[in-house]
Amino acid sequence: MRVDPNYVSNLVGSLDQAQASQEQLTAELSSGVSITSLSQNPVASGQNVLLLNQIQQDDSFTQSSSLVTGQLQVADSTLGSVVSQLTQAISLATSANNGTLNPSDVKSIGNQVSGILDEVQSLANTNYQGQYIFAGGQTSTTPFTTSTNTSPGTTTYNGDEDVNYLQTPNGQKIQLNVPGDQIFSASGSNSVFGALNNLVADYASGAVDTAQAVSDTTALSTAMNYVSQQRVTIDNSITQITAASDAVTSDQTQLTTAQTNLMQADVATVSTQLSLAETQQTALEDVIAQLDSASNSLFSKLQP
Amino acid sequence: MGTISSAFSLMSGALDADQSALSIVANNVANANTPGYTEETPNWQQNAPLEINGVSLGAGVTETGATSLRDRVLEERLDQQQQLASASGTRLTALDGVQALFTPDSGSTASAAGDIGSDMTSFFSSFSSLEANPTDNALRQQVLSSAATLAGDVSNAAASLNAQRSALDQEASGVTSQVNSLTGAIAQLNQQIQSTSPDADAGTLEDQRQQDLSQLSQLIGINQIKTENNGLSITTTSGQLLVSEGASYQLTTGTAGGVTHFFVGTTDVTSQLAGGGGELGGYLTARDQDIPGVLSSLDQLAYSVSTQVNSLNNGGTDLDGASGTTANPLYIFNQPTAVAGSAASMNVVMTDPNQIAAAGLGQGTGDNTNAAAMANLANQSIVSGLSPTNYFSNFVSTLGATVSGVQAENTAQNASVTQLQTQNNALSSVSLDDEASSMTTLERSYQAASQVFTMLNTIMAAALNLGDQTTVS
Repeated sequence: MRVDPNYVSNLVGSLDQAQASQEQLTAELSSGVSITSLSQNPVASGQNVLLLNQIQQDDSFTQSSSLVTGQLQVADSTLGSVVSQLTQAISLATSANNGTLNPSDVKSIGNQVSGILDEVQSLANTNYQGQYIFAGGQTSTTPFTTSTNTSPGTTTYNGDEDVNYLQTPNGQKIQLNVPGDQIFSASGSNSVFGALNNLVADYASGAVDTAQAVSDTTALSTAMNYVSQQRVTIDNSITQITAASDAVTSDQTQLTTAQTNLMQADVATVSTQLSLAETQQTALEDVIAQLDSASNSLFSKLQP
Repeated sequence: MGTISSAFSLMSGALDADQSALSIVANNVANANTPGYTEETPNWQQNAPLEINGVSLGAGVTETGATSLRDRVLEERLDQQQQLASASGTRLTALDGVQALFTPDSGSTASAAGDIGSDMTSFFSSFSSLEANPTDNALRQQVLSSAATLAGDVSNAAASLNAQRSALDQEASGVTSQVNSLTGAIAQLNQQIQSTSPDADAGTLEDQRQQDLSQLSQLIGINQIKTENNGLSITTTSGQLLVSEGASYQLTTGTAGGVTHFFVGTTDVTSQLAGGGGELGGYLTARDQDIPGVLSSLDQLAYSVSTQVNSLNNGGTDLDGASGTTANPLYIFNQPTAVAGSAASMNVVMTDPNQIAAAGLGQGTGDNTNAAAMANLANQSIVSGLSPTNYFSNFVSTLGATVSGVQAENTAQNASVTQLQTQNNALSSVSLDDEASSMTTLERSYQAASQVFTMLNTIMAAALNLGDQTTVS
């Protein structure tokens, strides 16, 4: 049976392969990444795209939610201030309505109520990072303006009914704002500005129409409760965002672990494989050296 | 008496035969490392015996020439396997270049650079961020800059693919001149072989022809057809005649549709060559099938994302309160006119961040409905029935699987080639040990023949002297 006289050259081919395998394993160890090309693991590469997408979306939401929480908290504390202003207005009105005050005192109370109206309007026109938060979608327009051309004065709402929502990665929608007219100038006895303007008109002359004034004070009280109710919507949004943010953070942690496991090189495994590859290469080199020296042919043995 | 002088001629015949056999051995040893050389063995022919008076007398031996030790079937199988290995090897090299454009993002910030999947996510996330504060200038700038990153990476990938395609095109057309010179050489060898040894193995001429065939098989897929008088015809795998005994037909090139096409005579054989094997088959498969496939997937992605985002942005209200009109559309991306080529031409045309229509149509500028809608595109089936990320994920897996498949094919084919090569070498390569032992045998038989000659000489002298020791010595 004849053998291939050139079989040593085949061994050299194997030596090249062993070398290439070593280089690849060394690169894996140094970069820490086990999948450096799509063909090494096509399914994992596809999976990686999806995982990274989700992780980045979660990260983006976490950042947005902290911005939004700031805005909502400003809205909430503004409404808190409005309620305390209105409480003060109600106690002033009550004292004016009991008939014990003289006209100049009544007028003085009227001025204070007017001051409170201005303050409430200013609170309703709160501006967060350059945008009016109670203007609906018209955030560059001052939401409330009061005209004293009429008696009682008229406060006009210049915004719209638009409500913005923030979407969470799992599809939940969180309300970000309440339009100003729904808080401050809702219909009938729920209107804060309506009640305040009426009270200012009631006390302007110093003479109090008690029935009218009492009715307007009650309306103001109703309106103040209404404001507190609207505040609940904002508080709910803050709670929802916190919950969503926590859920998203833990989701992101899990996904990051999954993605890391997918793509990172397992140092122990790679080191073992590298050690085996090195051993194989050394063995091949020895074999080639031996065979080469043994491949002197019969010619060298022949006597001349 | 006649027997002694005929014995002389027998011995001198033997000496000639041994010498001529030794020259064949020497030729083998001299050509031990010549590529394509097939070991030759001497042919010993017993001369026809003479009949004299009913007695049959042997007439010695002649060495009638050398026979090459080759197995034609084995050689042809080796050529065929090399065609396949060559094709898959060339295709694999091209595909490695393609998949290098889409190296997976490992998750660290550095590796995200150039990854189209990450770019898309960042782009759609920038709209999600805009939902929180639709009028914020920094967030709007972020939308435009992430759009630019996405468009840049997509168009760069498309440009690289087109460049790779041109490179493959050039390499493929470079193969033609080599093919033509080889077919010309083979045709000439055919003529020589048919005229010098139509009935037997043609020795070194045959070696050369086989060597040329082997090289030709690596370049282009061929079928070999043996014809009469030791002739050979060569066709492409699909049947186009390249060599017909003494005549060869040129492979010519021409341009069609921006790429090189290949002709034999006037027939366009490009698509047949692509499936035929050899380097040319590998180049053409990569050039006409693999790369266009990847490009069209990228085009689909670019087209869908660009048109959908543009359409939504155009239908909303921007920070200046304006909406898109036919005369002045509010497009973020260059609006593509057709799917083909939209990846290469993807870029951001909007420069003013105020023109991003975060608000819905007819809404105040603080509205975020349109920003939410654009962010939502990430989850809608806008690219061939899949969301953009799912589409890209599929694309990446499919490409990886294709390359991995070709790798496996190539490894198997190379192993097969090595095996066949080993078998062929075992048969046809010069084994120095064999030559040494042949040489020793021939040397001994030469010594033996010359020894017999010497003894015959002594006997002849004795015969001439007829017993008397003095006349002749």
